[in-house]
Amino acid sequence: MTDLKNRIIAGERAAIAKAITLVESSREEDIDRSHLLISELIKSPGHAVRVGFSGPPGVGKSTFIESFGSFIIKKNFKLGVLAIDPSSNFTGGSILGDKTRMSEISKNENTFIRSTPSRGSLGGIATGTREAAIILDAAGYDYIFIETVGVGQSEITAANLVDIFTLIVGPGSGDELQGIKKGITEYADIFIVNKHDGDLASQASRTASDYKSAISFYNKDSDDLETQVVLVSSIEGKGMNEVLNAYNNIIETNKKTNQFEIRREQQLAYWLEEEVRNKILLELSNEKGINSLIKSEIQRIISGDTGFYTASKGIIEQFLGKK
Amino acid sequence: MTKNKNKSLNNWKDKFTKEVKVDSVEDFFYSTDEEINIKPLYTEADLLDYKFNDISSLPGEWPYTRGPKASMYTNRPWTVRQYAGFSTAEESNKFYKKNLEAGQMGLSVAFDLPTHRGYDSDDELVVGDVGKAGVAIDTVEDMKVLFNEIPLDKMSVSMTMNGAVLPILAAFIVAGEEQGFDKKVLSGTIQNDILKEFMVRNTYIYPPEPSMKIVGDIIEYTAKEMPKFNSISISGYHMQEAGANNVQELAFTLADGMEYVRAALSKGLAVDDFAPRLSFFFAIGTDFFMEIAKLRAARTLWAKIMKDFGAENEKSLTLRTHCQTSGVSLTQKDPYNNIVRTSYEALSAVLGGTQSLHTNSFDEAIALPTEFSSRIARNTQLILQNETGITNTVDPLAGSYFVEKLTEDMCAAAWKIIKEVEELGGMTKAVAAGIPKLKIEESATQKQAKVDSGKRVVVGVNKFKNPNEPKIDVLVIDNEKVREDQIRKMNLVKSNRDSKLLEACLDNITNSAKNNEGNLLALTIEAIRARGTVGEVSKALENAFGRHYATNVGVSGVYGKFFEKDDKFMDIQKKINLFEKEKGRRPRVLIVKMGQDGHDRGAKIVATSFADLGFDIDMGPLFQTSKDVAKDAIENDVHAIGVSTLAAGHKTLVPALMQSLKELDKDNKIIVFVGGVIPEQDYQFLYDNNVSAIFGPGTSILDSAEEVIKLISEKNN
Ligand code: B12
Ligand SMILES: Nc1nc2c(ncn2[C@@H]2O[C@H](COP(=O)(O)OP(=O)(O)OP(=O)(O)O)[C@@H](O)[C@H]2O)c(=O)[nH]1
Repeated sequence: MTDLKNRIIAGERAAIAKAITLVESSREEDIDRSHLLISELIKSPGHAVRVGFSGPPGVGKSTFIESFGSFIIKKNFKLGVLAIDPSSNFTGGSILGDKTRMSEISKNENTFIRSTPSRGSLGGIATGTREAAIILDAAGYDYIFIETVGVGQSEITAANLVDIFTLIVGPGSGDELQGIKKGITEYADIFIVNKHDGDLASQASRTASDYKSAISFYNKDSDDLETQVVLVSSIEGKGMNEVLNAYNNIIETNKKTNQFEIRREQQLAYWLEEEVRNKILLELSNEKGINSLIKSEIQRIISGDTGFYTASKGIIEQFLGKK
Repeated sequence: MTKNKNKSLNNWKDKFTKEVKVDSVEDFFYSTDEEINIKPLYTEADLLDYKFNDISSLPGEWPYTRGPKASMYTNRPWTVRQYAGFSTAEESNKFYKKNLEAGQMGLSVAFDLPTHRGYDSDDELVVGDVGKAGVAIDTVEDMKVLFNEIPLDKMSVSMTMNGAVLPILAAFIVAGEEQGFDKKVLSGTIQNDILKEFMVRNTYIYPPEPSMKIVGDIIEYTAKEMPKFNSISISGYHMQEAGANNVQELAFTLADGMEYVRAALSKGLAVDDFAPRLSFFFAIGTDFFMEIAKLRAARTLWAKIMKDFGAENEKSLTLRTHCQTSGVSLTQKDPYNNIVRTSYEALSAVLGGTQSLHTNSFDEAIALPTEFSSRIARNTQLILQNETGITNTVDPLAGSYFVEKLTEDMCAAAWKIIKEVEELGGMTKAVAAGIPKLKIEESATQKQAKVDSGKRVVVGVNKFKNPNEPKIDVLVIDNEKVREDQIRKMNLVKSNRDSKLLEACLDNITNSAKNNEGNLLALTIEAIRARGTVGEVSKALENAFGRHYATNVGVSGVYGKFFEKDDKFMDIQKKINLFEKEKGRRPRVLIVKMGQDGHDRGAKIVATSFADLGFDIDMGPLFQTSKDVAKDAIENDVHAIGVSTLAAGHKTLVPALMQSLKELDKDNKIIVFVGGVIPEQDYQFLYDNNVSAIFGPGTSILDSAEEVIKLISEKNN
């Protein structure tokens, strides 16, 4: 394990890759080794800024990462990308094609690009994504981009992985706008309106100003840094400098206000809770006795022999009693 | 229809259903790949209510279903035009001259992939590709050698060039000029069809929009300066070869044609000024009558389309086409069968009324043709022309209930798609959105599933196999040597030119491209005259336009659906699931294309089918170097890499990959296997380079998947 650790810290590509496999693995023995590795690695943290990207399918997340990624590696930053690819199919296999849209940054010495099939996991985050980011951080990457699958409930999970959470949207029909409820501005640090080019340019600008006014409306009584809106064209590479400035601004401000650290601590709490919750659920589903009890209680509820609350109370008591 | 005829038709139906023991004749309808229902019998009743096909029309007469000319082959047979090119200009020139002596009537130049993609032979991105899949042309001096002792005022020359169309057409014009012929007398065709490159052929260079501008500039220039030259060959051929069914091929091709007409109109040309010089190119596959109907339908629809564009000149209304028999229908197994297949396809093309024809060689699925295999391919046509009497009658199948009805059905089905494309805003938009490509990939995957499941018989491949496969000679090209020769010749040209003059010419190109001013072909001719190379001109354009990188979306679930309850399919799935359980993740395979080889049909079909089986598949982009692939493989910690290689670069690219993998991780346990066109002579070489398995053309995907999961499981135990 220390060998692997040292090789990761030395930035050895193959070691980083093997370690990510380890943290993604569903094999019992791997899980233990993975915990060991991670607890070692967090002792030698790097300085990476973790940036998350979320947004509806097809808005251009991969294309943006290609474009913005090229921009920042030209400035001599090292970039790690963790792309969660949504395309798992009915048999469980998947085609990971995200990288075909990142061919420029893929080729570069100063990048590490890893795709992971989402396997339909909730939150659009694959098992091990958080740990993979820790590995890349320890390996000395300056930026770690995490591309997540689409939208919906996934934002909370995704936002809890990163220092800057970016929501990418397209020149909208206004549909997405309905989706900006108050909540979303709390964890989106920045909105990027993509496809600000060609026929779509004016619509993109309109969308951006719609977002701006919606945000200022919701944000009016908060002292948080106002969520920024940046117009870009990933295809033409426009707006990349503005995005970098916005990111730098967010990081600087958050560091000044201690938000940066506070957020990381809160995230730790979030993941601890998640871990505990998941462990309990796993235990529960592995408990054969409990599973059959649930089945028989369902029958009893249907036949009227017991009630919903009595049954659930009984099941929980039996589960806790067993522990 | 008279009562009597009705009665006898009913009698026939009774007899039929009794003979074959079905309830109704409909049970015996056969649904083709195009989802056209083929009936067991066609009668006079099938000649009624046509919207497109006018069965009373005559050859050379509106709507030209029966042929663009009144006399057709009775006056002049179709042109025997074999597509060829390999190694250096010197070698190809020798080959052309021999072929012309042996009865070939026109030339058709196949360029190598570096030339197609606008790279000079000394570019490090193309080390494995120089001279391998066509002839290498770097400068006008090469072009002059290519046509040495071939008088360009008499010989019509077709050139398959799309990406690097500007420097190549310019080099042709300057070669003619330096042979002493004005461009006005040059006859032939330049393919110049960029839309289908983005769809299926993959030798694009610039993004779609500037690429369309180039097409327009060429049409404009030739319309004004080269009255005998076809400015474009609107090609469906590559679509069918990539897996499109016949209706898709027809519809997308005509829709492309409409787009090019619009591009030319936007240059301010009048339709009749350029439309007579638009030509077409279709594939002729194994579905005998369908192919005949397709050509008849193509002419019918094009006449209608051009009329709608306001064309008045009859030459604008008539679709003239070149055809090529289908390469993908030819097999690596029992290859002499291919002579028979090609003969039927050639017959089909001729009955459909093609203006010129290429027939493939029997070693198609193995390597570029040898002199021997080319001779048989050529003679297939010469026998048709000289021995069968087929040229004595125009459109001999007219009036056939079946062929007329099928012609109408094809028209209707294609028209529907054309209208859909138009509603999307035309083919450029549809192509940019990736829609036709996806449809074609879906069709290709279905075709593969039909063969792998045995629903479609391919003689010698999935049935009637030959236990004693014959050994055959193959053409071997030493790409190292070709590359050295090319570099030497190019350096000679470079040392004898006026570099100031050239620089000015190249700047003019970049500026014109940037500012959308002037005609790019005219400017390129200047640069080529000043001894600019194909690569230099392409770079000058790239500086303004950028390079295009395609993104990959693939179909999913199409293959799996065919095998829902198949034992073998489920068995492989089980093995994969077991692997996941034991190893904590699914077997992960990176499928790649390296070098300039753009044949992606096989790679994509295998990728989607493997994913359906339960593999995690990483799909790399086209045109990768061995270093790119190794980085991708190591970072994603894949169990295996599947290299799909069809353009003969394997002996350079595969060892390079092994080396790159070692450099990144000397202890890597990655299994490498190879699929595609690999002559058996090279198998041992690849095994010696640690390739674990080779899957050639015709491999059932299930077989390859079984082998791959076995190899991965063994390696990871
Ligand atoms: C279809 C085709 C085309 C299409 C390609 C469409 C596309 N998007 O793929 C078109 C018409 C565009 C085309 C063009 C050209 N072609 Co071409 N083409 C073929 C053809 C006829 C069939 C290939 C094919 O798709 N087969 C069907 C698929 C499903 O089979 P496959 O790829 O072999 O894959 C199977 C196995 O090999 C294996 N496999 C393959 N890959 C992998 C990967 C993995 C992981 C696994 C497990 C298995 C596996 O499993 C698959 C399923 O059975 C072959 C000849 C032939 N019959 O093989 C020539 C051929 C490959 N082409 C050839 C040439 C020269 C060209 C051109 C360069 C010509 C030119 N100079 O302009 C151009 C340029 C194309 C380019 N950009 O690279 C030559 C190559 C010469 C050589 N190797 O020495 C060939 C061999 C024909 C010949 N004899 O001359 N071509
Ligand atoms: N006009 C324009 N199109 C863009 C831009 N960025 C991306 N696209 C196009 O939008 C489509 C989707 O882009 P992707 O990068 O694959 O989008 P994604 O959000 O990663 O999509 P998923 O991976 O499916 O979630 C592609 O066809 C891109 O070419 C842009 O800036 N302008």
